[in-house]
Amino acid sequence: MSRGLLRPLAGAGLALLALVYLVLLPVYFSHSPYILRVVSIASVLSVISLGVWLTFAIGRINIGQAAFALIGGYATAILSTRFGLSYWLCLPLSGILAALVGTVLGFGILRLRGVYFAMITLSLTEAVRLAFLNGGEFTGGASGIPIIPLPGELSLFGVVLMPSFQTVNTHLAFYYLAAALLIVTLAVVWRIGTSRLGWIFRSLQQNEDLATSIGIDIARYRVMAYAICCFFGGIGGSYFAVSQQSIYPNVFGVPDSIFFILYCFLGGLAYVAGPVVGTFILFIGFQILHPLQEYQQLIYAVLMIAIMLWLPNGLLSLRWHTRADRAELARLEGREARS
Amino acid sequence: MRAPSERAGRTRLGAWLLVGVLGASAGMLPSYAFAQEKVLRIGQLGVMSGPAASWGLINKYTAQAHINLINEDGGFEIDGEKYRLELVSVDDKNDPRVAIAGAERLVHQEGIKYIIGPNVDETSRAIIPVLADGDAFNVSYGWQRELFSPPSENTALGMIAGYQSAPLIYKYLRDERGVKTIACLPRNDTSGLNSRDNCVAAAEQLGLEILSSDSTYEPGTTDYFPVVGRVVEQNPDLLVLSGVTPSDAPLLIRAARELGYEGLMATETAMDAKIFSEVAGDLANGFISVGGASAPEIRTDYMQRFIDEYEKVAGEWNDEAGTKVYALEMILQTIKQAGAKAIDDVAAFKAVVPEVDALNPFISEESIKLGWIGDSDFQQKRQIRVPMVVTEFQNPDFKTLFIDTVE
Amino acid sequence: MEQVIVNGAISGMNYALMALGLTLIFAIMGVLNFAHGQMYVLGGFVMYFVYTVLGLGHVAGFAASIVTLVIVGLIFERFFFRHALRMAAREESTMLLAAGTALLLESLILVAFGEKQRGMPPMVSGVYKLFGVYIPAGRAAVFLIALVAVVAFILFMQHTKPGRALRAIAQDKEVSALQGVNIERYSALGFALGAGLAGIAGALLVSLLAVNSGLGTSVSIKAFIMVMLGGAGVVSGAIIGAFILGFAEALGYAYIPGSTTYLLIFAALILFLVIRPQGIIGKPWG
Repeated sequence: MSRGLLRPLAGAGLALLALVYLVLLPVYFSHSPYILRVVSIASVLSVISLGVWLTFAIGRINIGQAAFALIGGYATAILSTRFGLSYWLCLPLSGILAALVGTVLGFGILRLRGVYFAMITLSLTEAVRLAFLNGGEFTGGASGIPIIPLPGELSLFGVVLMPSFQTVNTHLAFYYLAAALLIVTLAVVWRIGTSRLGWIFRSLQQNEDLATSIGIDIARYRVMAYAICCFFGGIGGSYFAVSQQSIYPNVFGVPDSIFFILYCFLGGLAYVAGPVVGTFILFIGFQILHPLQEYQQLIYAVLMIAIMLWLPNGLLSLRWHTRADRAELARLEGREARS
Repeated sequence: MRAPSERAGRTRLGAWLLVGVLGASAGMLPSYAFAQEKVLRIGQLGVMSGPAASWGLINKYTAQAHINLINEDGGFEIDGEKYRLELVSVDDKNDPRVAIAGAERLVHQEGIKYIIGPNVDETSRAIIPVLADGDAFNVSYGWQRELFSPPSENTALGMIAGYQSAPLIYKYLRDERGVKTIACLPRNDTSGLNSRDNCVAAAEQLGLEILSSDSTYEPGTTDYFPVVGRVVEQNPDLLVLSGVTPSDAPLLIRAARELGYEGLMATETAMDAKIFSEVAGDLANGFISVGGASAPEIRTDYMQRFIDEYEKVAGEWNDEAGTKVYALEMILQTIKQAGAKAIDDVAAFKAVVPEVDALNPFISEESIKLGWIGDSDFQQKRQIRVPMVVTEFQNPDFKTLFIDTVE
Repeated sequence: MEQVIVNGAISGMNYALMALGLTLIFAIMGVLNFAHGQMYVLGGFVMYFVYTVLGLGHVAGFAASIVTLVIVGLIFERFFFRHALRMAAREESTMLLAAGTALLLESLILVAFGEKQRGMPPMVSGVYKLFGVYIPAGRAAVFLIALVAVVAFILFMQHTKPGRALRAIAQDKEVSALQGVNIERYSALGFALGAGLAGIAGALLVSLLAVNSGLGTSVSIKAFIMVMLGGAGVVSGAIIGAFILGFAEALGYAYIPGSTTYLLIFAALILFLVIRPQGIIGKPWG
């Protein structure tokens, strides 16, 4: 089997996946709001986790992503209920706002590494939650902001690009919105990974001193990566705010921050698809375990730890090659293949 | 940097895993068992974990115990046919996000039209769109007026709300115990703060002086010493723990008493005598709260039978169950009145709501009949008529102070 | 004001007990034990079970809590962390494994003890009034027992052979190994001891604060604050961090409404750690 055949196979796999995700699943389940919602939530959680993946890529353990999801959610809530902005403006604005906050904070906290950075981001999650709790009239305090309107029509020069969510199958509309967000985010992050920017990020992860010595302004690039991460957190939060049509301080908290890194980690930190695979399998897995009632969380935890111990490099590191693939690999790695 | 072929292999694996997982979830769609007998399934959605766990658990146990009795007696009769009852129970963890998912699961996956719960304002509010969308009806234990007033039509109040009980309780304490000053101490979340607002409104209405109402405690705190200290310094005649959970109440009482507070303490809902006894003991004596049908003065033999069954299901009796026992009976009586079509057609259910007028099997007070009320508070009949039994804790039980009701 | 100071001191001592276990494990194994809060909760539940359900009294309750947590600590170290620390290419692995163990322990507690919140009457009943300050006897008892435990721990670390070995490992693992200290055995001891301290804290405080299965995360967060504030891996740092948090809390709750107290605490902590990441007494990291 030559290399030439592997690429089309990978392409076929991706095409099949796209078919299932974008056509088969939504059509078959178009009247099962529960299933649509579960997959939509998994999609958007993947978006948020992809942001965390980026901070891993520059060598930081980011347990603060829930804070930016919350910021994004509140931004959407306030912009749409207090200022009457269309959701299609709120969505990118929420991401940008989260990124701005991330930039300002980033300059201060990104100097730290390891457990110290992790703890600061953990504190950040709580601090942001408390900030919104104590925001008085502006953020609605403990009850948050209810009755966020559904996304309205988006039209350009009289052409309707997006119908008002109220007029169509709302669950399906949100499903496609979530899918769109995931696909775009995945494309962006993958593109970053293969671009010069990605090369710079990876060099930061490996050896910051070395990077400085070849003239990279590490502070600036670190903040850039962090800001992008926060952007994705923000748009994820924005989606949740509008799909639940409410936001309050407890929507995203410390357990969520921890789950975002767990999703990345369990999917596989070395792969862009890692956070997506991790999120889908873990989140949907948890839902599937629902019939277990009080044992649901227990089995879930056991499975998670098993994955961590057995596949420390994540689910995607599972080896599943044909013998020919292995020969191929061995050849690439410059060794004699065994038959 | 990974070799392209490795990436391909992993991507393939990822694809198959995903398809497999999704296929499995599709397989989890329930298949309706075509049983010989007729089955009526009722849903229950409530908080069954964390400090407020007893609220949802009590809904679950009361419904289950009552269902056991009905099934034992041959089933519930609608249009001449006997229906076996079944309860489907979902934990919402007091989180609106989880409540929405739970409601969707019940309504769309399980095909259930009648739900008991949720327990607080936030979760009740969150599922209103789901109920409207799926045409289902619920009996909620949140209190906010918006939940039960138009345009919300599919939610009813299953108990006496704080703003209904508070004026009656405070009036009694003002007239019988000489209370002139009051302080309200709420939990810092929507239900707690709403209860505090009700407390303040009722106090103003009755001419009581409000010494403190803006101190709050965080949900999840267990160290009340610092917070209670501030309030106790004002030395009100009556300290109201607005919206307190049954688990937190004894700790708050202990903190207040240990800080030297000697005035009256009260809340507007039902508490748990066992936890009071375990955690606060005699320090909780004199605490005023609301009880239910289990009060010996008004309980029937059927209620006694229910208490015994409840103890079998839950392991121990809980006085709060006495206030939540009516929801299922109300739903069933209304379906019976409307006929079997109401099992799947909530509009038929709603149509007969004004006509329901049945004896309450749990209480001997025949003047308080089962029916739907609520025109004055909600402009529509979206509340179950239940007795309000105000009690005082005397270790280890609650003693009845007085009985009343609202219209 | 005096009441605030007394409240702060009592809280500080409770928190010191909470923080010591966490900082010890970090010092020995470089792992921030995310399951610390859940271990505390387990200690509380075991105490409740032995005292209230079995009716065996406080001493039996303490003994049971300590034994349970030591066993849990040994199991975690042997089956989870030892393997992970050897194999881990990245330090995130052990941290996330710790997060996984936290979830595991929390689920086990939920299954074993149920979802209801459990509390206990004070260990000693009655209230003392000194100089206008109320001191409930139960809180005083907890303060004294916690003080004894903390002092005992410090003495153990300073004057016993295992204690000195642990301190040596905390200071420099490689040099200690070269000098013949059995790292594996002492890692197990350190972890078990850290878990045991969390258990004692839980067992002691359940009579004051009650426990429920969801309490673990917030206890862990408080412990993290104290340890990072005082200096991760340093015993005196943990104690200092604990008292600072105790007093900050007491002051805050007395003069500022509700949750703003913790907002200020977190904001201050973040600022402080950005300027001085090693905490008050911590070792400067490279």
